[in-house]
Amino acid sequence: MRNDDLALEDLTAIADAIAARRITSVEATEACLARIEAWQPRTNAFLRVYKEKALAQARAMDAELAAGKSRGPLHGVPMAHKDMYYRKGELSTGGSAIRRDWTAPVTATVLGKLDAAGVVELGFLNMAEFAAGPTGHNVHHGHCRNPWDQSRVTGGSSSGSGASVAARMVYGALGSDTGGSIRLPAAACGVVGMKATYGRVSRAGAVARSWSLDHVGPLTRTVRDNARMLSVIAGHDPADSTTSEKPVSDYEALLAGGVAGVRIGLALPNDGPAPLDPQIGAAIQAAADALGRLGAKVSAVTLPDFTALYRAAEVMVKCEAAAMHRPWMEKTPELYANQVRTRMEAGFFIPATQYIDALRLRAHFVTEFLSTAMEEVDAVLLPAIPFPLPTIEETDTETKGGPAVLKMVAGFTRLTRPFNTLGIPALSVPCGFDSNGAPIGMQLVGRPFDEAMLYRIGHAYQGATEHHLKVPV
Amino acid sequence: MDEKTKTVAGIAAGLQGMTYDDKRLAELAAEVEILNDAVRKAAAQRLTFDDDPAAFASVMAKEART
Repeated sequence: MRNDDLALEDLTAIADAIAARRITSVEATEACLARIEAWQPRTNAFLRVYKEKALAQARAMDAELAAGKSRGPLHGVPMAHKDMYYRKGELSTGGSAIRRDWTAPVTATVLGKLDAAGVVELGFLNMAEFAAGPTGHNVHHGHCRNPWDQSRVTGGSSSGSGASVAARMVYGALGSDTGGSIRLPAAACGVVGMKATYGRVSRAGAVARSWSLDHVGPLTRTVRDNARMLSVIAGHDPADSTTSEKPVSDYEALLAGGVAGVRIGLALPNDGPAPLDPQIGAAIQAAADALGRLGAKVSAVTLPDFTALYRAAEVMVKCEAAAMHRPWMEKTPELYANQVRTRMEAGFFIPATQYIDALRLRAHFVTEFLSTAMEEVDAVLLPAIPFPLPTIEETDTETKGGPAVLKMVAGFTRLTRPFNTLGIPALSVPCGFDSNGAPIGMQLVGRPFDEAMLYRIGHAYQGATEHHLKVPV
Repeated sequence: MDEKTKTVAGIAAGLQGMTYDDKRLAELAAEVEILNDAVRKAAAQRLTFDDDPAAFASVMAKEART
């Protein structure tokens, strides 16, 4: 082990050490619990910590290993997840006041897969109310705070997932992504986040934000960690008819491919409502240069105008959210944060024909994107968040209205939401720090079901850089 | 109240059973107009009679690279 504190090791190092019985799952769990005790007051990343249950699980995992039974490459590894994954008979708030005391009737497919793989559950994590919000604000459970600078946002909606992985409280966490909600907190907190292809990971038993655009995925400290976790949670699920029956790759085994000869399109889009900040652009350019030195063929690409695609996504989210939230919006509208409720209301007034056309347009949008921006490249490299990370106060739409604040908050998803409409895989990887010391994330976008290519590029990049090794203090 | 706001007010009261004040109705009308126009324009440029929402999954499978 490189570190005296086991919590500072990454997921694969800990998993491999447990498998080799150099350390125990109990030791790894105790290290995470100690880290949670130190960092929870500073970040508010957890909504519930299951100390005794986690230790009992860890003891059981150690006993299985001692008896010669291994559940696979995540056996005994402690994690925690966004509080929107159901576990039968247990609380599941969805970050809301409405479900503050609600118990889930089923267990989410992804949690079932992690259980079968031997993952220890440390608890459940803070999130934006009903996964609606790109910053990490939560008026019901308290805002989540960025471990790098507690005055700054974590990104959302998987705020606790980003913060807990960054602060080394957990080795990995599930998030979900409807418009950027895995990639934004990954970028803002300096960790790795994968929004895989739509249909690659089951959504069954997860709180929906928009059935058509929701993606379940992992946040981790390294690309290798992420590849291992996705290999476990991906795959067809009869409980989610939108999942693909395509076989799941062993993403970790494919990391070694390197980037020699890989064609990467660099996009530095400087138009739209949130122009690209020069220091973010410089960090992405530096990442492209680093990949070029590793043998990748980097060329500039121009992204299409995403306006229609972005609006189509808004139509889908608003209509689907309004439909599912209607009973609560009628009976208990005061239990929502204003900014959460008001973002759904337009869904009641958008004609059904427009909603259906938004769905019909998706096939055209994907075909157009793949035959233009991605025609000559294997992946596109672009920023995740186009500006330096703002503070919690600057982006508090609940207490601070006004067009400037709303524009900044909307700007968070300018470069992430289009890839939810397209359904193609997108990986966020840390690539530097801004002048305030807050992380910067780059986004790698690939062809449908080509998560392996994004992981290869991200892993090669992390092998040549050290941004992911820095730890908040 | 302009015509679009009146339309939204009519849907709210008559079809959706929701009540909003005039200011909010005007905001919603403006928001819906932007979204509606963008999708309508994109649809006019691309969609034909035979376009099926399920084609999205087919295209993803066809374009898959694993």
